[in-house]
Amino acid sequence: MIRNTPKKRALFVSAVIAAGAMALSTMPAQAASQPGITSTEIKLGITSPLSGKVAAVYGKIPGAMKAYFSHVNDNGGVYGRKINLISKDDAYVPTLAVKATNDLIMKDKVFAIVGALGTANHLAALRSANLSGRGVPDLFVNTGFSGFADKAKYKTTFAVLPSYVMEAKIMAKYIDDNYKGKKVALIVQDDDFGLDAIAGFETAGLKPAVTIKFPTGADTVAAAQGWITGKLKPEAVDIAIIFATTTTSAAVLGAAAGLQYRPTVGWMLGSVGGDSNTLRAGGVPLAILNGAIGTSFAPDPSDTTDEYVNFFKSIYAKYVPGSTFDLTVLQGMNSAMLTVQALRAAGKNPTRAGLIKAIEEVVSATISRAPLPTNGLPTNS
Amino acid sequence: MRKRLLLFIALGWVLLFIGDRVDELRVYQGASIAVYTIAIGSIILLTGYSGQISLGHGALMAFGGYVAALCVANASLPLWFAFVMAALLTGIFGGVLGFAAARLSGPYLAGTTLALAVGLPSLANQFSILGGEQGIYLDPGLPPARLGEDFSQYKWFFWITTLAALITMFWLSNILRSKYGRTWRALRGNEVAAQLCGVHTGRQKVLAFALSSGLAGLAGALLVLTISTVSPSAFPLSLSFALVTGAVVSGIYDLKGVMLGAVILVIIPEIADSVASRFGDSLKIISTLPGLLVSALLILAVLFTPNGPGEKLHHLRHKRKAHSG
Repeated sequence: MIRNTPKKRALFVSAVIAAGAMALSTMPAQAASQPGITSTEIKLGITSPLSGKVAAVYGKIPGAMKAYFSHVNDNGGVYGRKINLISKDDAYVPTLAVKATNDLIMKDKVFAIVGALGTANHLAALRSANLSGRGVPDLFVNTGFSGFADKAKYKTTFAVLPSYVMEAKIMAKYIDDNYKGKKVALIVQDDDFGLDAIAGFETAGLKPAVTIKFPTGADTVAAAQGWITGKLKPEAVDIAIIFATTTTSAAVLGAAAGLQYRPTVGWMLGSVGGDSNTLRAGGVPLAILNGAIGTSFAPDPSDTTDEYVNFFKSIYAKYVPGSTFDLTVLQGMNSAMLTVQALRAAGKNPTRAGLIKAIEEVVSATISRAPLPTNGLPTNS
Repeated sequence: MRKRLLLFIALGWVLLFIGDRVDELRVYQGASIAVYTIAIGSIILLTGYSGQISLGHGALMAFGGYVAALCVANASLPLWFAFVMAALLTGIFGGVLGFAAARLSGPYLAGTTLALAVGLPSLANQFSILGGEQGIYLDPGLPPARLGEDFSQYKWFFWITTLAALITMFWLSNILRSKYGRTWRALRGNEVAAQLCGVHTGRQKVLAFALSSGLAGLAGALLVLTISTVSPSAFPLSLSFALVTGAVVSGIYDLKGVMLGAVILVIIPEIADSVASRFGDSLKIISTLPGLLVSALLILAVLFTPNGPGEKLHHLRHKRKAHSG
């Protein structure tokens, strides 16, 4: 009896496993139709920081996009289909972005990813979830990382922001034109976002006297105080460029205000963390912002003469009442609008491949007329 | 032993068969289960057999993950070699740690390993070769072309991790039945008595720690394979706790239930997700519920099946036998 037990047990276990395998094998196969598309709905997904340090600023993007999609849905949708945006939190952490993106594709089965935020985050997600290999459209990423323009590697990724390299070159030219010979300090994240900026400044021939590279998340006010007192000494630095997130800008400028510090010429801010409206809402005193030079790829959100700003502002006020309309919101709504246009261009029965083809066609048709070379287009910027 | 080998081969075939029949998400989850199986197996070896507690196995997994990623990204070594290196180097690292661990016991050992789990992964932020929070990209490469075009990357991960898990479990089930396994059990039971029987307790403890670390390193390397990126955030403190919970739920004194713990660890976030979606996708629920479920499970397991479900079943069977007899 005892001698028989292991054999019996083995038999039992294998029987159970085999039965389980049979049961699983009879599960319905995946539908052959397009994932995320029904006759009434188009399911899209976004990953962005909804929690953590940078959430206060960039966490507004999904809400802004949803506001624009609601506006479109209330006006008939896209060929009768309503857009449903599923938003996942990645806390600005690459491994969480990987999980969130995998979930969006495999669990929620979205049609496309739109507006994914963060260079390091989305790079990790793109590689791990293999968006390119699977043919999942990856529309209008919220990063200006120049690497996403590599169409051989990222076949399905489309950018909307100008690349950081391009932006850095523009800033370098501005400095060369107006402040030739001044000593420049550069504050960047120690990841591909920061490296892109450094590459841009280098190509333009600007050699920073001081470069501060910090690991993501190490941009506390205390750290910023250390940078200012240790490295940004008045005799060493004339212009300090912050090419990082709004969190970094706020920390550095806040620390500077506390220490009564100002570079002899002044501050320069990159587009990512340079929206004065957002910085002021985040508590940066106006006095320290005065005279700071920021780059931007969009109209000022407080510009009431701009048609688009007014249009987006009225929609945002209707669907997200009580929230401040800033550059992040403007950018979110802009990519939502582009998404809707792309979906319309993909026709009445959109497929993933069709959507990508439609964008590529529009891009090649408008490229010669584009006022500004955008990242992701085959230009020799 | 030959019977066991056949059983493992049969299990492998069944898993292969299942992997072909289910959708991508299940395959991916299957790969995670295989990774957790190895990690939990390493805890069972360490805690269940040699009686040493580790709350820092997440950090050892991180060590293995970084070794593998550096091997592939910087030295362009083949994937399998990276895994071997991960297991080997983490084993050596664990052996060094084991020297310290062998002198500590109970809460002191738990505290020391906990500090490791807190501190070690964030070290990566200090050295640029480790890539900071962005981490290092581990290029898993494409599955071999002869497997066909439809063969997805996830299925490839599933094959690799499952094969690794099967080999590990076979090796582990053998070593735990060998002289070493018996020695470790003696150690756990009563250190003084074991010493009197001629067991070199210090050496055996270090050996157990090193072997367990090696397995954790392998699990870490495989985890990194499934997400293609290694960064400190892949190895949070909660991972170490989850592994211990998984081991307790599986039955820490016995290897048989090891997959149960792994399945539970993969299912818990899914349950949390579906509960959260009922409450309107509340972010707070999504981020806190998995931790709550893991802790609740640990408490329940300790209360009701302190020696694992296997023993409970065994008891029930005996009771029934006693009744019928």
